[in-house]
Amino acid sequence: MPGIDDDRATRPTGPADPLKKEGDETGPSRPDVQRPDRNDLLKRMQRVDPDQARKYRQRSGE
Amino acid sequence: MPLFGTETEYGIAVEGRGAADLVSESRALVRAYRGAVASPWFYRGEDPRNDMRGFHVDRLAQDPEDAKFDVAHKPLPVEEERADRVLVNGARLYNDHGHPEYSTPECASIFDLVTHDKAGERIVLDCAKARMEVEGVGRVDIYKNNTDFHGSSYGTHENYLVARATPFPDLLSGLLPFFSTRIIYAGAGKVGSESGGGNAHYQLSQRADFFTEDASVDTLYRRPLVNTRDEPHADARIWRRLHVICGDANMSEFATALKIGTTYLVTSLLDQGWKPPVTLRNPVQAIKSISQDETYRWLAEIAGGGTMPAVDIQRTYLQAAKERFSGRGPDTDWTLRNWEETLDGLERNPLALSDRLDWVAKRSLLSDYIESAGTNWKDGALASFDLAYSNIDPDEGLYYALEQSGEMIRVTDDASIAAARTEAPQNTRAAIRGQLVEKFAGNIAVIGWSRAVLRDSDESWLVDLEDYITPDDVRPVLAGLKSAADLRQFIDCYRSGEK
Repeated sequence: MPGIDDDRATRPTGPADPLKKEGDETGPSRPDVQRPDRNDLLKRMQRVDPDQARKYRQRSGE
Repeated sequence: MPLFGTETEYGIAVEGRGAADLVSESRALVRAYRGAVASPWFYRGEDPRNDMRGFHVDRLAQDPEDAKFDVAHKPLPVEEERADRVLVNGARLYNDHGHPEYSTPECASIFDLVTHDKAGERIVLDCAKARMEVEGVGRVDIYKNNTDFHGSSYGTHENYLVARATPFPDLLSGLLPFFSTRIIYAGAGKVGSESGGGNAHYQLSQRADFFTEDASVDTLYRRPLVNTRDEPHADARIWRRLHVICGDANMSEFATALKIGTTYLVTSLLDQGWKPPVTLRNPVQAIKSISQDETYRWLAEIAGGGTMPAVDIQRTYLQAAKERFSGRGPDTDWTLRNWEETLDGLERNPLALSDRLDWVAKRSLLSDYIESAGTNWKDGALASFDLAYSNIDPDEGLYYALEQSGEMIRVTDDASIAAARTEAPQNTRAAIRGQLVEKFAGNIAVIGWSRAVLRDSDESWLVDLEDYITPDDVRPVLAGLKSAADLRQFIDCYRSGEK
């Protein structure tokens, strides 16, 4: 049973931190991809209308 | 008994159309489905106002802002409004209040469920393409997310068969700490906050901003962490259907599998009478604060004083499940192993889990954009990238760009997903439902989760599937159905083994 108030000061801080993409070497392993090709991702991001979320309206659902 | 399914309400954007048009657009999209179907839905006997706490409410709460859209529209009969379609894979496709909704067939394996959840994406996407290419409407985009970033949320629900014998108060107290904290791995990630929910630039959960109650029968407004709807779709003397509405829509196959696998194990623990050794002071506040904690310490306030990290709260459930269920089967062992590894990873460095958790993967691509564009987390374009992550079109969506570049762990494959579009899991009653649609759609008068009425000339028969729970229950009638030369032969077979 873990202790209460077990604050972890070693956690990374919030979104201002740059991503450490390769992460902790002792952590879970990534898919076997040496150098992911992100060209397609970048092309798709360039196609995204930066105002799309501002224009996006939905009915309230369950 | 493992039996579960998901219901996904998809976001829909149609060129030139606004929110007031989405009910009709969603209905038209469902009607654009081109495969074999049966309808109408068997609504008689369903009652979403029945509360597990032993009472019945007169009406469900409505969002007053959303209700304004309905003022100008004359309501249609429910069959027409919802345009239900039951598919040959046993799934249900319909219009739910302006959202195309895909309810998977009942599954007995988490991997089957992930596969059918993904098959639902492909089916809804094909409907959108049919609207554009065949029916000539403007561009239609479909999003598997839970928010419009302006205060409207829509659900991704999970359903688990649980024992009626488990007292509801024990179910509630056992689920609340789990639901408030599972977002650390099951959250889909969201840019910003809504509904006065805080000031986070990026939070773990799409849905956390929208909960105000611990428990309630409502789903559309004043949403609860634990939904008390008592609508088992099975023998109500033996079973409950736990209708989970507090989850996010996951694009990641791994996150879906872990969310379903862990939640199923927790329901199994509670069915055995296990009780968690921790009670949260305020579960609703906890899910919100954990979701928005950008330090990733994720401390929850404990009843009686003090705080406890969400990871450690999850470990109390994991430990109990390991002690009781290790070695029970491949689903359980996969879940226990990955639950533990994920909690270890979240404790060590959560940002290393971008290959499996949606909130981390999304944060990774947003962070890359911020770095390359020299902007910051207040950039208004980030919400649009968030939305694009959940675009279900494999040629457009940002999640799918990550998957196609090999950056995301997969737990199913495209061939299985393609097959699941037309084939139900063969070990649940969904296979019977799907076969009925495939062989006798023209004879189906009404059909639902647990019942169908078949007609031929002047005769009609009720096929009651309430008691078809285990694979052994399903096997004989499914075999009879598959081999039946005609409807009457199937009815004879069904009656000979009627439960």
